[in-house]
Amino acid sequence: MCIDAQMLSAYLDGELQEPYRTQVEEHLEHCPACRKHLEDMKALGERIRRIDYPAEMLERKKDDIEAMLDRKYFQGKRKVGFIRRRFEVSMPSLVTAAAAVVFIFIGGFMFFGTSQEQTGSILPSFAVQADSSNVHYVADEASLDNFTLEEILHYLDQKGYNVDISLKGLQPLEQIEPATAE
Amino acid sequence: MEIRSTDRDDFRLVYDANYRLLVQVIMHIVYNLEVAEDLTQEAFERFYVKNMTFPSEDDAKYWLLRVAKNLALNHVRRNKRESEMVEKVKRMPFATVDERDGAKEVIDAENRREVRAAIESLPENLRMVIQLREYSGLDYKSIAKVLGISETNVKVRVFRARKKLEEALGSEERDVY
Repeated sequence: MCIDAQMLSAYLDGELQEPYRTQVEEHLEHCPACRKHLEDMKALGERIRRIDYPAEMLERKKDDIEAMLDRKYFQGKRKVGFIRRRFEVSMPSLVTAAAAVVFIFIGGFMFFGTSQEQTGSILPSFAVQADSSNVHYVADEASLDNFTLEEILHYLDQKGYNVDISLKGLQPLEQIEPATAE
Repeated sequence: MEIRSTDRDDFRLVYDANYRLLVQVIMHIVYNLEVAEDLTQEAFERFYVKNMTFPSEDDAKYWLLRVAKNLALNHVRRNKRESEMVEKVKRMPFATVDERDGAKEVIDAENRREVRAAIESLPENLRMVIQLREYSGLDYKSIAKVLGISETNVKVRVFRARKKLEEALGSEERDVY
């Protein structure tokens, strides 16, 4: 039985895998019809390739286009210069970078710098270790602690209260005045 | 080696390796050298502008060939209205043929016209495969990558294209050979 023509075509292109390749070769040895078919296919290929274009014709503008593209995409950027290009960073990225530095600094203390002596020498006021004895619960619902004295007074004033307020150890000025006048 | 399309050295490497291939592939679709050169330039500009990284030089090549092929096919479709003009250009004797001696020139021109007509009569899916195989010399694996089909499919299409070309060129073939 003769070789399938599709196999022969793949064989011609060197794309036939073993063991088929050897089988085809063996068959071709003693089959003139298949040899002829293969030769015809080869001749067809040559005939098709003969209308291909010569390399020098295809490449006539290769250098011009390359130079043009180089000017357009690469040279313009080169003129900016290495240093400037390196330091040309946008504002948002600077802010991000600054934030990252602060974050890493604080993070460093949180994860590694918990030795009290170390922290104490750098940030004396924060030198207390955070534990249950010195961390207090801060309520976030409304309480008087959340308002300033002025706000409280203002509020009471609005409600119609007359509040007198004085600081311990200080006398009101009016009471002193008559004495100094004498 | 990884290829970055906006890297100057990588770009040059890919350009030098593939320029001719791209012009050739496009040329066999549009049959006009100036158009082929323009479209090749366009393909390389897209390559740069897309700012892509390819795992290998071959992958960059497949991408470029795919883009070139599509640009060329789109060009032909867009210019169908001007097809008469294109026909005229196709019929024009080949530029470099003029330098050769008369008898050979006639045979070559004849062969050119016949082969071109036979290839053009192929459906697009067969035509692309046989052109990439015969003119660009790509192996089945590369053709499969460029066209996004399986290698088996490439094998089948190459064979079908050959069969059809044999049928179309058969009678003349006996005269020539």
